[in-house]
Amino acid sequence: MTPDSNAGRPENELSELLNIGFPANPGAIGTVADAVTETLIQLRVPEQKRLEIGLAVQEALVNAVVHGCKNDPSKQVRCRLQSDPLGRIVITVTDPGPGFSPDLLSDPKRQENIYADHGRGVYLIRQLMDEVSFERRGNEIRMWKY
Amino acid sequence: MGPAVDALRQVFEESLGGGDTRIVLNLAEVSMIDSTGIGLLVRFLASTKQRGGNLKLVQPSKFAVQTLRLVGVLNLFEVFENDDAAVESFA
Repeated sequence: MTPDSNAGRPENELSELLNIGFPANPGAIGTVADAVTETLIQLRVPEQKRLEIGLAVQEALVNAVVHGCKNDPSKQVRCRLQSDPLGRIVITVTDPGPGFSPDLLSDPKRQENIYADHGRGVYLIRQLMDEVSFERRGNEIRMWKY
Repeated sequence: MGPAVDALRQVFEESLGGGDTRIVLNLAEVSMIDSTGIGLLVRFLASTKQRGGNLKLVQPSKFAVQTLRLVGVLNLFEVFENDDAAVESFA
């Protein structure tokens, strides 16, 4: 885990493309994920990269709503989409939950986990994105796509 | 995720409840499979196999195949180009 995934990338060099706060209702996840995808289309991000970012964002939103907020719509999740001067995309999803330690997650590709019905979300995000870090107490995920 | 996975879960449960253990799932209209969907597929695959059946996939998108491979479960499934080939493979 990196203490500051923006090291070397000052926040003021990032352009904000989307900043959505929404109640932690599972029904809202699709709408927010669609808004991210629509922004990527406007940026002319190639389809394959768009799919990879879209799935990673969806996984992060599900984690925030389901695990971070326990599906409690009185709690607020925030999703930000930014780009740097090189056109690289960074998505940040923040929830008000207690956070978690990603280092404690088990490897879903281990034989004993292969038929598990959960536990693949963070692994998938790490595979799909170029750089992933957990900030604060683990209740904020920052995902870069170059 | 959401209603799509819930609907599929219900279909799977009804199929197993009705004694159907040889299942063909056409994914042609599915552009993306998330971790919730993958969890459902592997759990249902295990359930059918435990009963002597199988769950076979038809026409998954390139990205769906990539995703299943990324999490190490693609090789658990038999994948077919069309429904007929998948159905015939049960014969």
